[in-house]
Amino acid sequence: MVDWLTMVIQMVSLAMAVWCLVSTFRDQPMLVPHLVGMGVLWLLVLGQVGAMIVAMVGGESPDETVMLVSYLATVVLLPPACAVWGFMERSKWGPAVIAFACLILPVLLVRIEQLWSPVV
Amino acid sequence: MSDAEAAPTTTTPPDRTLRTGPGRLLVAVYAVFALAATARGTYQLVTRFEEAPLAYALSVFAGVVYLVAAIGLARAGRTSRRVALVSVSVEMVGVLVVGALSEFTSGIFPEDTVWSHFGSGYLFIPLILPILGLWWILKVHRADQA
Repeated sequence: MVDWLTMVIQMVSLAMAVWCLVSTFRDQPMLVPHLVGMGVLWLLVLGQVGAMIVAMVGGESPDETVMLVSYLATVVLLPPACAVWGFMERSKWGPAVIAFACLILPVLLVRIEQLWSPVV
Repeated sequence: MSDAEAAPTTTTPPDRTLRTGPGRLLVAVYAVFALAATARGTYQLVTRFEEAPLAYALSVFAGVVYLVAAIGLARAGRTSRRVALVSVSVEMVGVLVVGALSEFTSGIFPEDTVWSHFGSGYLFIPLILPILGLWWILKVHRADQA
């Protein structure tokens, strides 16, 4: 697990959340820049998950593998799913969906970090 | 409603469905909670059934209720609206009863569920969610009948 990448993902995710909340309160629908932002965020997440899969194949495996894999699947699916669902809505509630997803993502990453290297 | 001005196109059908506007966000939140509660409950049931079967089964049940509510909200039509109304009501009763039981008696649910302590482990979202859900369903229903 690449520690700095987790940090970057959490920062980008929170920044996306703030940006989308601003859009929501300014009554704007979701636009292409929002979508590009989600794309960047998704690529970062894919990079992190890819690095973890490589490490797991290499034999580095935490205790609760099933739990970890289900969390990894969730963080991979969350950004595109919410981007599509939000983009379909042509009102301020589109960015609101993205903001919600981007607030959940950092929490999921914290859980993944705990599962990957449990602190005694 | 602002979404009526924001979407002047003909994409919205004449009868307002639950999934547009604020409903869009509600469905997303319900979907996440459905996943969280079902996955957590199932995992605990499979791995640690003997520790607290009732609490884990309740987690799975809550997850299924969230899932049914999400689908009911996301689909158009009167049947779906009734499904959404019933499932959100079940959720409201569930979070209040389980919340009260976990608050005043300690023995029944030794392990936490989404509804324990009125959902305090989940930022009280499980308590707020059914209130917003009921508000939205009734609002759409009224707008439809007018």
